Amino acid sequence: MVNFAFLDWFWVVIFIVLMVVCGILFYRLGKRSISDFFLAGRGLPWWLPAASVYATHSATDTPMWVSGVIYKYGLRGIWYTFFSAWCAISAFASTRIFRRSLAYTQAEWQTLRFSGLGAELLRGWIAGWQVFMNMFVLGWVGIAMGKLCHYLFGWPDWLGLILFSSLCAIYVLAAGYWGVVMADFQQGVIAFSVIIIVSIWGIVAAGGPQAITAKLNALGQSWRLNPFAFSGLTSGDFPLVWFLTMLVMAVIGGFGMGTYIDWYPEAQRIQSARTVRDASYSIWSGSALIIIRNSLWAVAIIAFFSLYPHIKSTADYEMAWFRLGFEFLPVGLVGFFFAAVVAIHLSTISTHLNLGASYATRDLYHHYFKPKASERELVWVGRISTLILLVGSFIYGLMMEEITQWLIFALWIMAAGIWLPSILQVIWWRFNSWGYLSSWIANLGLSWLVVWVLPEFHVLPLLPDYLQFWIMMVLGALIYIPITFLTQTEDMNRLVKYYVMSRPLGWWKPVRKEAERRGLLRLEESQSEGGN
Amino acid sequence: MSWIKKDWTAQQADKWTKEDYLTFIISPLVYVLLALGIAFSLLLLWYGWIILGVSLILLLIMIKIIDPKLRAISEDYEMKQKKYLEDLEKIARWEE
Repeated sequence: MVNFAFLDWFWVVIFIVLMVVCGILFYRLGKRSISDFFLAGRGLPWWLPAASVYATHSATDTPMWVSGVIYKYGLRGIWYTFFSAWCAISAFASTRIFRRSLAYTQAEWQTLRFSGLGAELLRGWIAGWQVFMNMFVLGWVGIAMGKLCHYLFGWPDWLGLILFSSLCAIYVLAAGYWGVVMADFQQGVIAFSVIIIVSIWGIVAAGGPQAITAKLNALGQSWRLNPFAFSGLTSGDFPLVWFLTMLVMAVIGGFGMGTYIDWYPEAQRIQSARTVRDASYSIWSGSALIIIRNSLWAVAIIAFFSLYPHIKSTADYEMAWFRLGFEFLPVGLVGFFFAAVVAIHLSTISTHLNLGASYATRDLYHHYFKPKASERELVWVGRISTLILLVGSFIYGLMMEEITQWLIFALWIMAAGIWLPSILQVIWWRFNSWGYLSSWIANLGLSWLVVWVLPEFHVLPLLPDYLQFWIMMVLGALIYIPITFLTQTEDMNRLVKYYVMSRPLGWWKPVRKEAERRGLLRLEESQSEGGN
Repeated sequence: MSWIKKDWTAQQADKWTKEDYLTFIISPLVYVLLALGIAFSLLLLWYGWIILGVSLILLLIMIKIIDPKLRAISEDYEMKQKKYLEDLEKIARWEE
């Protein structure tokens, strides 16, 4: 339990009022149209979606997770958090292509890239999956806040979950994405400032950098300062092949769409940027802030380790960064710190409420149930969907203990087996909707086999995660590549339209030739373009 | 950097060129160096400041390479966007 003085509560109340009111102020803009409610009218300068990318991916459970990997692996743990590097290439490749498609969501993009029944099946599947995923993330992050409030104030877990998610829902319901992105900017600034203050405070509390280094040397733990302290090529807890797999997954994944769960919130921010250039810079700089944040946290956790080197329980050392703040900051600043934690929390909750509602409204209600719906009606459906997501997240949050293991597994399998198909759909014209659909289905079966069933029956040994990734990728390809070639190419009219609009990267020569034949590409371009 | 193109027409900018491929290489490198540079600098290790400095120089080079092209793409595309949005609505409303 932490004791709050009057000044601490003052900070908390002022910050919450500021965040909620700041969101509500944009009520009039948010209700104008579905484009405003979900994309802020596609008119944002790059720094607003950038702040939103950063704020969204700083959730209540993020410092716990980063604390856990750094305390366990030392500075090597930075690479566990490095998957956000997919934005390094995405910002200048898939972001550019996706922004030019103008699709509201990744589900909608499927019907622009593919055609016919396969495209509609993909759109429905991705939309339904995203509604579920956003509700799940809301429950997951919400219960993390519940647990933090239990640790701080002794509240029951449900109270922190329901109280803060409901506060956040006020401005998301009122102003939609306008409220989300404006509050995210404010929250991002508060959160980043506090992360710097607490991390430096923690380093000073541990005696400063020299004292930390000396303490680690005395403990025989100096390897913790080496981010490249590999345990071997394939052996130990940090093998070189794991590192290389992670780098390939993260960096090359940027050529695709949907290669990471994080792609989906990013896709919304890409479309909300006012130009292609703004979209690129927003994604690049938002992720750069995440990488800087992770390094700040990492050194603070190293400092924490030098103070408390013998903690064995994962649950205990995952609280490292919170403990630095709540145990070492002076009275008055503790409330400031908690207010920043609330900011971190609200920014993630608001994004997933609005994002889940966008799939429910645009891809399910508008596209499948009522294509002729008016803008006013769609905004209201957006609000009702937001409310359903909120209530659903309470249910998920309260049953999270029982389902977390299963759902983390589900997240992992979806990332592993569809990584390559998610790239192929962007860079290869011949890859069709049936190939992509079959990759999702094959991945579902293969992952159960490779990860659980075959090891259980001793057909396969229990494999390290990097090997599971490569095996699932190869086995999956043996299914979806033949299916792609055995089924028809996509309708050439759709492909040409998509090509002219989005100018995708990779192998699109037959489509480009057809676009040229139809006179849809400018002369200068046709003459000078090579054979991609 | 005279071999880096600065003046782009919309037609030229629509193509994927060496400027894009260079950016694909420099950009992840900047992320890696930023991650290491910040961590080492906070620990007051001298090479941390050097790594951080290199990452910032590379970032400036990257922007110099890609920004003129991104500007050209954006200016041209914004003119066509209204028409494309109308087409998008037709698909959403099953009119196409």
